[in-house]
Amino acid sequence: MPLWWPLLLASLLFAIGVYGVLVRRNAVLVLMGVELMLNAVNINFVAFDAQLRDRFHGGQTFALFVIVIAAAEIGLALAIVLLVFRTHGHIEVDDLRELADRDPEDAR
Amino acid sequence: MKVVSVVMLGVLAVPFATALATILVGHRSDGVSKAIAVGGSAVGLILAWLVAIAHLGDAEPLAQVFASTHSVRPPIELGWYVDPLSAVMLMLATTVAFLVQVYSLGYLEHDPRYPSYAALVSLFTGAMVTVVTADDLWMLLVGWELMGACSYFLIAHHWELADARAGAVKAFLITRTADLGLLFAIFVLGQRFGSYRISTVMADIGGGAFARDDLWLPATLIAIAVMGKSAQVPFHTWLPDAMPGPTPISALIHAATMVAAGVFLVARMYPLFLSAPSAMTLLAVVAAVTMFLAALYALMTTDLKRVLAWSTVSQLAYMFGALSAGAWSAAVLQLLAHGVFKALLFLAAGSVVHAVGGSTSMAVMGGLRRRLPDTFATMTLGFAALAGVVPLVGFFTKDAVIHGAYDGAVHGRLVWPWVAWLLLGSMVLTAALTVAYSMRAWLMVFFGEPRSPLAAAAHNPPAVMRVPLILLAVPSVLGGLVVAVPGILGPDRREELFHVSTSVLMTLLVVVSGAVVVWLWLRRGPDMWRRVVLPHPPVDVLYDRVLVRPVRRLATVVRAGDRDVIDAYAEGAAASTRGAGWLLRRAQNGGVQGYLMVVVVGATAIAVIAGALG
Repeated sequence: MPLWWPLLLASLLFAIGVYGVLVRRNAVLVLMGVELMLNAVNINFVAFDAQLRDRFHGGQTFALFVIVIAAAEIGLALAIVLLVFRTHGHIEVDDLRELADRDPEDAR
Repeated sequence: MKVVSVVMLGVLAVPFATALATILVGHRSDGVSKAIAVGGSAVGLILAWLVAIAHLGDAEPLAQVFASTHSVRPPIELGWYVDPLSAVMLMLATTVAFLVQVYSLGYLEHDPRYPSYAALVSLFTGAMVTVVTADDLWMLLVGWELMGACSYFLIAHHWELADARAGAVKAFLITRTADLGLLFAIFVLGQRFGSYRISTVMADIGGGAFARDDLWLPATLIAIAVMGKSAQVPFHTWLPDAMPGPTPISALIHAATMVAAGVFLVARMYPLFLSAPSAMTLLAVVAAVTMFLAALYALMTTDLKRVLAWSTVSQLAYMFGALSAGAWSAAVLQLLAHGVFKALLFLAAGSVVHAVGGSTSMAVMGGLRRRLPDTFATMTLGFAALAGVVPLVGFFTKDAVIHGAYDGAVHGRLVWPWVAWLLLGSMVLTAALTVAYSMRAWLMVFFGEPRSPLAAAAHNPPAVMRVPLILLAVPSVLGGLVVAVPGILGPDRREELFHVSTSVLMTLLVVVSGAVVVWLWLRRGPDMWRRVVLPHPPVDVLYDRVLVRPVRRLATVVRAGDRDVIDAYAEGAAASTRGAGWLLRRAQNGGVQGYLMVVVVGATAIAVIAGALG
């Protein structure tokens, strides 16, 4: 199997993930974009691991690490989304602008 | 410490202590503050007379230094020097101050600012006592400036009146400007003689080690200072404008303290002036111009207090004229006599003003001699003394002054002959004018019919105001006897002061000019001569053009520079920072996805560029 097949797949997944993170307004869908990007990376790890025939299978090991970290991250992120929903009544990312820098008089 | 030193310390300390006590107790109890003010000045009077009488005539001068700086060279010393000149000035200043305090009890009876007024009068007296007894030039300067400050506050006593405020500021600015002369003279003298003690400096000069006009600079500087303090041309305009102050203050300023200090300083520093004929010439010319000009103003004005104010300016010029002609004793006696009769005149004028309800214009007076018999009698004596009528005190001193000027013109070598003759001519002419304006004021106030309802309803002032008048009338009448006691001003001042020929001529002059005025009064009534309206002394206009307006214009320029250049920089910096902040803040809109977009695009761009370059 030529290397560029999994790499193409990973690139497509990563691009879809970036698109999702940048464009979707629903926080859950944004998180799904993040997951897509992480998994695109995983495909890269596995593909290069197979291609380079690494004796310690570092690529596959890293892929396992990434899966664990992604699981932890999604758990934390969903908890945040839940809290945002409780305090704001919605999870529209566009409308969460508390971080904006405002004039002091606007902040009041 | 000798007894006399302790008493002298009391003379200096009592007025200041009185001032402090009056202002501290002042607003709590009216009666107590009055008692302190009058009692304090009475104690000061007694102590001053004790010291003064011991040092008249041939007595050894009291010279003592009781503190001295060691770190500064030449040393600045706290010391006094009481010679006959200081002694007579002490007597004059404390006496007039005491009578003014007594008189003010009646004059300012219902004034809410009485405590601060009385405290300032005490402080003023203390400052004058400091000036006349100081042996150190710096100590003298302190008293000198303190008097300027006190006169400022007292002229502005009625500070709700714009006139009073303006007069006070004018007095302060003009005298302070001239005072710079004294300050720089002190620097020059201290550097030249290595001592600030007046007695040491004068003894050195008297030793004759200096060439003629070697010391022209300090002498001229002091002459300028005394011209400002004593309101001589071209600084003469502040004194008449100081008239909105309470009338007792005018008496104090004109008779015993402020303006007298100028003449006193020249008398004290006389050896310095003798060694510097150029300063003497300056004084002589200024005196000749001032006495005549001021007498003309006095002749024209319709305001009673202004008549007296201009007359003070004119009489002070007599003293300067006498000093510059070499007639030291005549000048000092004229200063004393003037102090007495001018205090009397001002206090009497205050009583007239009080009686007609506060107006000082002679147009609302007239016919007051029946209503105010005591004031009429005493003021008549005062005017007669001012005009130089036999045998009142002004007659003797004025004749002595004029004879001194004549001697100076014929034999003197102090000033150029033409200056001396100009001075003499001006003095004789002014003597006639003095009679004329005194008669005019006297007739307009006391004779004819009352020219206003206020004058018709005039009430006699309280006894506390009348008694000082009578007390002052006594020396105005009998003061001439001092001329008969030669040597009262010191062992080397024994010159003959009474000259029959001058006296006869002067009496003739007085009689003729008096007769002319009476004749004009009988023919024309109150408008004896065509009134020339003098809106402002030309000097004031000159000051306005040369000083006030350029300073104002400069201030406008400075203000514009501050606003349009310096402020513009500061505000521009603030505005540009704010603008840049506004621009940058557009990026921080809180949209996390926007931030991420920037990150992704940026990272991609960097990767592309790196790939292209690598």
